[in-house]
Amino acid sequence: MIDFELIFRILVFPGFTFLFLLTLFCDWMERKIEARIQNRVGPMVAGPGGILQPLADFIKLLTKEDIEPRDAKKIIFKFAPLAAFAIMVFAACFIPIDGKSVLTTGAGIGGFNGDLIVILTFATIANFLLFLSGWASNNPYGSIGSARVLTQFLGYDIPLFLVALAPAFLAGSLQIATIAQIQVTTLLPFAILAPWALVLFVITMQAELEKDPFDVPHSESELVGGLETEYTGAKLAFLHLTRDIQVVFGSALVVTLFLGGPYGPVFFGPAWIWYTIWFVLKLLVVVAVTEYISTVFARLRIDQVLSGNWRILLPASILSLILTVALVTWVYNPLRGA
Amino acid sequence: MASNNLELISLVESKFGDKIQVQRNLLGAATITAHNGLHYDVMKALLEADEKTGVTSITGLDLGANLGVYYHIHTSKPFITIKAEVPKVNPTIKTLIDIHPGAAFHEKEVADLVGVVFEGHATPGHFVLPETWPEGVFPLRKDVKATEVKPVPTPEREANVLPENQRLVKIIIGPQHPALLEPEKFSVTVEGETVTKVDPRIGYVHRGIEKSAESRTYLQDVYLVERVCGICNPCHAYGFVGAVEKILKADIPERAQYLRVIALELNRIHSHLLTLGHAGLEIGYETIFQYFWRDREPIMDLIELTSGNRVYGSLITIGGVRRDLNSIDIPKIKEGMKNLRNQLPFYNKIYREEPTLRLRMSEVGVMSREDAIKLSVVGPVARGSNYDTDIRKDIPYEAYGEIPFKEIVYSTGDVWARMNVRLDEVEESINIIDYALDHLPSGPIKVDLPRAVIAGEAVCSLEAPRGELFYYVRSNGTDMPERVKIRTPTFANIPSFLKSAIGESIADVPSNFVSLDPCFSCTDR
Repeated sequence: MIDFELIFRILVFPGFTFLFLLTLFCDWMERKIEARIQNRVGPMVAGPGGILQPLADFIKLLTKEDIEPRDAKKIIFKFAPLAAFAIMVFAACFIPIDGKSVLTTGAGIGGFNGDLIVILTFATIANFLLFLSGWASNNPYGSIGSARVLTQFLGYDIPLFLVALAPAFLAGSLQIATIAQIQVTTLLPFAILAPWALVLFVITMQAELEKDPFDVPHSESELVGGLETEYTGAKLAFLHLTRDIQVVFGSALVVTLFLGGPYGPVFFGPAWIWYTIWFVLKLLVVVAVTEYISTVFARLRIDQVLSGNWRILLPASILSLILTVALVTWVYNPLRGA
Repeated sequence: MASNNLELISLVESKFGDKIQVQRNLLGAATITAHNGLHYDVMKALLEADEKTGVTSITGLDLGANLGVYYHIHTSKPFITIKAEVPKVNPTIKTLIDIHPGAAFHEKEVADLVGVVFEGHATPGHFVLPETWPEGVFPLRKDVKATEVKPVPTPEREANVLPENQRLVKIIIGPQHPALLEPEKFSVTVEGETVTKVDPRIGYVHRGIEKSAESRTYLQDVYLVERVCGICNPCHAYGFVGAVEKILKADIPERAQYLRVIALELNRIHSHLLTLGHAGLEIGYETIFQYFWRDREPIMDLIELTSGNRVYGSLITIGGVRRDLNSIDIPKIKEGMKNLRNQLPFYNKIYREEPTLRLRMSEVGVMSREDAIKLSVVGPVARGSNYDTDIRKDIPYEAYGEIPFKEIVYSTGDVWARMNVRLDEVEESINIIDYALDHLPSGPIKVDLPRAVIAGEAVCSLEAPRGELFYYVRSNGTDMPERVKIRTPTFANIPSFLKSAIGESIADVPSNFVSLDPCFSCTDR
């Protein structure tokens, strides 16, 4: 029997179409924020306030000529961007957007215990596919750019996982929807209970998303377009889309793990509308903060990025985990009487 | 140590006696004619007597049967020129690079364009000329007509020879590279991430302006030399005009002198703001790039107001300036200066305190004062290394002698110091413009000078935004110059980059390089 609700949820709301539109909107908002901070106007022609500009860019790229370098490894070159995009969308589907994960119908919040680890792994695999796409293009700039992507996410994945464990420990669950829900139903948002973890998570996210001051894989002055150098047309469109959906995914993780996810007060009408509104609002705040960070800093050098990771962020994230575990065991749990 | 230039000349005079001829007040404070290899000894004596001695430029000339090799020497006080001649049939002369490494680039250029062979300094292949240029044809000799040179077929592209040491890798930056906005080639040898050697190859956009100037009238040449560089074009105009006026011994009206200073300082502000922003872009700091370029725009408007055009104003002309400032313009300039001055504390804060910017700029591309002097580095790059050389102070030209201003010197010698020198100089330039506007003398703005220039020669140095710009003009009594030599600041500063990049990370090469404010269209005249 065909489950039409599931298909609708996956393809339209809150699945693919909704995520796609949200991604384009976040892209527009990022560009607008960056432009206003830099005293420019930003996109302003397509649609009111230029809001349709990301969509226009996407469609324009789809219509462009698709060039494949002669020496590129064709299959990987073609499919790695698509696969990266698909995996990112799949990972995003586990995040409770309207109160439960996209892949769930009926009652309950969906997901399973351990899906936090699964989606973080998906994000890593997507990054690895991006690395492969640059590697396969057989271009020095592409190769160096993708090598930098690889070095950077391998380094920053460890602190990311460690810091992400703090909310899991606070909630006593590895199920992402439970972590989100418990912050609103029984506890306070973890941004209040464990602010140090939030700060570390945002910094690590900034590095994972390759935004300033950690955007060494995209340093135009050294690497032209980095791993995107040889990409044109539809493949480039999907690379850009992957990059944008990574931003949404990263911000959604911050929202879910630290800000209570979609859960918030329901005033009237169906709860899922309010959940979606809360989710989007929280998400936009996080996107605005990360964009602000990336505008006010200069790009670090690759060795500074790496030593910053191993010397500062990794010890800090271990400390954060120890602190969280200690607090949960000796302060929060006794207070709750659990 | 000879503190005074005249003492220095007397010292050389007494040391060499009759073997050399000294003419005072020609081509700087004095011209020393020293043939038969004596130029080497004179240079050595000067180097010993004054620590700040260095080669500003070397001019090669075709003097008929002989080739002239003129060494333009700067000391802690003004200029000295050492003239040497070699026969055309055997144009060999002793090199200076063993006593002054800063001469290397100049010797290479003279060898390529005039065909002088520098004994002890191997200059294989072309340095400025294209690979298709025939051997043995030297474009700046009088018998060579540009239209008659037949290019030879492009040589086979030589395979990228791997260095013998297996641990070294050669990375070629340029001629087309994202970090370079203009084409020039640098072969960087790296061991791991560390740069061990940089080999430059310039000349990709060489236009032969020095040669073209010989077949145009003086007035046409003013417009021609402005085309050497779009950013510092008033400086080039002034360099040429200043040299011609010295040959003519012209008295320039005071008002014109002040107006020239205003034009040159506006140019300096716009050039410095451009670089400060571009350095931000190079280290991935797009926000300050946008801010600096936003604030540069009103300055461009002021340049348009004073000269009639945003970029090529051609305000400075032989005998004075083309346009006067009226009582409506002056408050507008003052307003623009005030607005920019209000922005400066913000930029100072960013450049001094922003942590990521300091991480990328501090202790990058460090050059010591000794190296700066040895390599004859000029401008903000030298002043960032605690080497106080500013032509506006050393040899005041136009109204600079009457205007009070500070010479900015930083001592750390890194990229950060160079950028801060520029930032502080913007403030000084605002002060200079304010002072000049307040003390603007009345009177004419131009004197009429003859179109044909009496036979003679002169040099003119000025402090362009990127450093000392040097002009040598030789006239022969007609309305066209016999020889025009242009030594641009970037040409003098590239050796400093070759030196300071060594031992640093390859990732620092772009920000180190951009801190020179490189201009290849200047380098390739």
